[in-house]
Amino acid sequence: MTSQALVDGRIETYLNRLGSALGGLAPEYKDDILREIRTHIMDSAEHSADPVGGIDRVLRLLGTPEELAARYSAECQLERASRSFSPWVLLRTCWQWARLGIRGTLAFLVAMFGYSLALGFTLAVFLKPFLPSQIGMWIGPQGLNIGLEAHPEQMHEVLGNYFVPVIAAAAFLAAITTTQLLRWMMRKRAPGLVVPAADFVAAAEIEKTPAIKLRS
Amino acid sequence: MPSNANGDRGQNWEAQLRKGCLEMAILATLWQSRLYGLEILRALSEKSRLEVAEGTLYPILSRLKAEGLLESEWVEAEAGHPRKYYWLTAPGRRRAREMAGAWNEFAPKLTVLVEPIAAGRS
Repeated sequence: MTSQALVDGRIETYLNRLGSALGGLAPEYKDDILREIRTHIMDSAEHSADPVGGIDRVLRLLGTPEELAARYSAECQLERASRSFSPWVLLRTCWQWARLGIRGTLAFLVAMFGYSLALGFTLAVFLKPFLPSQIGMWIGPQGLNIGLEAHPEQMHEVLGNYFVPVIAAAAFLAAITTTQLLRWMMRKRAPGLVVPAADFVAAAEIEKTPAIKLRS
Repeated sequence: MPSNANGDRGQNWEAQLRKGCLEMAILATLWQSRLYGLEILRALSEKSRLEVAEGTLYPILSRLKAEGLLESEWVEAEAGHPRKYYWLTAPGRRRAREMAGAWNEFAPKLTVLVEPIAAGRS
């Protein structure tokens, strides 16, 4: 195999793996990334006296396709999540953000509390027809309890027939408030704090690591 | 082993410092010119000696564009590959000014603080 064919094979293998690792990104976004990385590889290797060695160096500095894809996802994940209304997307993003610092941890706690509240209220609304005398909004010596009461005889239920509409509205309100708060927190985050500091390694350090092994 | 732990902590601190400065450095390289990725890397290396791996730069450029601080377009080269050029948007220029202002206020004070250490070493 000629050296040019070897170089082309390595580039295509790298880009194919990168494309797979970029997974669920929007096609136009993924295509743009692949196009830019291909251009970068070609431009960088062009000026090298040794085509194969030059490609090895460029690919080493890019990192493995999986590492590069993870950086793209991490960098843009918060930005995309801040524009999403999906509790699952927001919760998942907060979980990953929490691993990076205090703001993310706070956001994750807000998400867990808010969505748990909404879920609990929703569950109570659905169970009310099956356990009408045990589920309600209870006030008594032990304080306030919304949901299942183990000792209903000691407590006073205050909502009666209004329990379902009031608690359903409360569940909706809890979910909406949590969602909007998380979107606001993500938009107000300090920039450049998405990727862990360990990823900010100088090119000189990466040069020391072995070349990436690619299966042609 | 204490010496390795100190080395790792020093390396981590330096990585934190690079991370904090890199976004400002990228915006600064684009202050006067439209550049593509490889040109940004060269500018960072030649003007500031802030070498950063390509695998770190491109995702950050992508995020800065998603935040609205950069804009980009593909330009067909006369000979060679089409290249994706970046430039600062108005919010990007505002952010760059804010960061430069903060840096100019912060850096001289820290230089004064560490000057005795550097003098002591030499």
